[in-house]
Amino acid sequence: MSYIWDQLSSAIPLIVNRNGYVVGLLWVTIRVALVSTSAAVVIGLPLGVALGIGRFRGRRALQLLANASLALPSVVVGVGVLLLLLRQGALGSLHLAFTLRAVYIAQAILALPFIVALTPAAIQGLAPGLLDQARALGAGRVQLATFALREAKIGVVAAVIAALGAAISEVGAVVIVGSNIQGHDETLASALLDQFNYTSHDPYEVAIALVLLALIALLIGTLTVIQQRTGAVQFRFRTA
Amino acid sequence: MRLIWDEIRKAVPMILQGNPTLLHIIGFTLEVALVATAAATVIGLPIGLTIGLGRFRGRNVLRVIANVSLAIPPVLVGVFLFVLFLPEAPLGSLHLIWTKRVVFVAQTILALPFVVALTAAAVQGLPPGLLSQARLLGAGRRQLWTLALREARIGVIAAVIAALGTALSEVAAIVILGGNIYGYDQTLASATLYEVNGSFYADAVAIAIVLMGLILILMGGLGLLQHQGNGLRLRFRSAA
Repeated sequence: MSYIWDQLSSAIPLIVNRNGYVVGLLWVTIRVALVSTSAAVVIGLPLGVALGIGRFRGRRALQLLANASLALPSVVVGVGVLLLLLRQGALGSLHLAFTLRAVYIAQAILALPFIVALTPAAIQGLAPGLLDQARALGAGRVQLATFALREAKIGVVAAVIAALGAAISEVGAVVIVGSNIQGHDETLASALLDQFNYTSHDPYEVAIALVLLALIALLIGTLTVIQQRTGAVQFRFRTA
Repeated sequence: MRLIWDEIRKAVPMILQGNPTLLHIIGFTLEVALVATAAATVIGLPIGLTIGLGRFRGRNVLRVIANVSLAIPPVLVGVFLFVLFLPEAPLGSLHLIWTKRVVFVAQTILALPFVVALTAAAVQGLPPGLLSQARLLGAGRRQLWTLALREARIGVIAAVIAALGTALSEVAAIVILGGNIYGYDQTLASATLYEVNGSFYADAVAIAIVLMGLILILMGGLGLLQHQGNGLRLRFRSAA
């Protein structure tokens, strides 16, 4: 136990004194988490709802594709994004390779499958007939979507939690598309990978790990409270 | 798009020629994926069944712990194990850091939460009364577990698929613990990271393509297995 205590006692002062390097990493991580998760929600929610309530041809194939994209390894996403963003690449003129914006893009792509795949799963888990009834009562497409989202709220928030988790803790793509320059586009998680990779072990690593753990507990805890606040699914037909 | 096509055109011959380094990495990746998934399943299934079916105090706490463990980033697992495996640390005498063995250990630990949490969730999702009825008809624990596993097999196989996906594509913990040593303890995913960081883009693309192929075959295969004998059947033969 004294060994673990030694590790903690050299790391905790770095956190308590708000060490500039650690605070910088925290700030970058929060920005990446919020920007990428928001982008994934804005793009993914309409797609997910369309897959969940839509009755068009090829819906099942698209849903299969969405589920399969959950298995996309982060390093593969990283390589794909980097090859697009490099100067000779298709989007090279935007000069995004090895910048924080490239990290935003990569993490948003990694977070997107969770929203697109888990939202329709949540909507399809609603009581059978619920949406048909809303349709029969004359709900338009927007009303139907709002209704479905509200009723499937628990599952939809779970999708957002999963997306946020990926944006915060995935490192494979961050270290590929970013420059890994200290304080520029390193997240807490990618800094850990980089530090262990090239330098010897020091108190910074334990301090960064503790801050990352606290951040995840805080963000995911908050979302879980939001998710559970109304309790179970409620059957209300007001919007219909 | 030109850059991506160019790199793919260079990558395909590398795969077809059966480059020995690439073959070694493929072999090691398969070994790690199979051993880690099998170990996680053997250890995790009994735990998941106990948590999901058990009627003892504190099982709700255990369920929450199992779910939370899904949200712990692999980098943190890597750091935690690294600190434990350092020469002067409690488990230092195992001499695991920068070895092949640690890759198996790390991927097993990362895959375990998926088996435990998703198995528990799958057996809890069985129709209420099914297991009570089996208990009433005098099923022992072995029979009960067999029945629950068979009836919840879609969810249980989904748990194994998730575990396999982690073992195949997670890089964070194995890079920290194994050191990502060229030609020694690299998996396809960590080798991709290594090649990109060295700017060997064609090699990275070749390895990434093989990785995607492997994921498609292995996880697709399990997915087919999952939906054979479609859906939940209520049979009580094993309980009688």
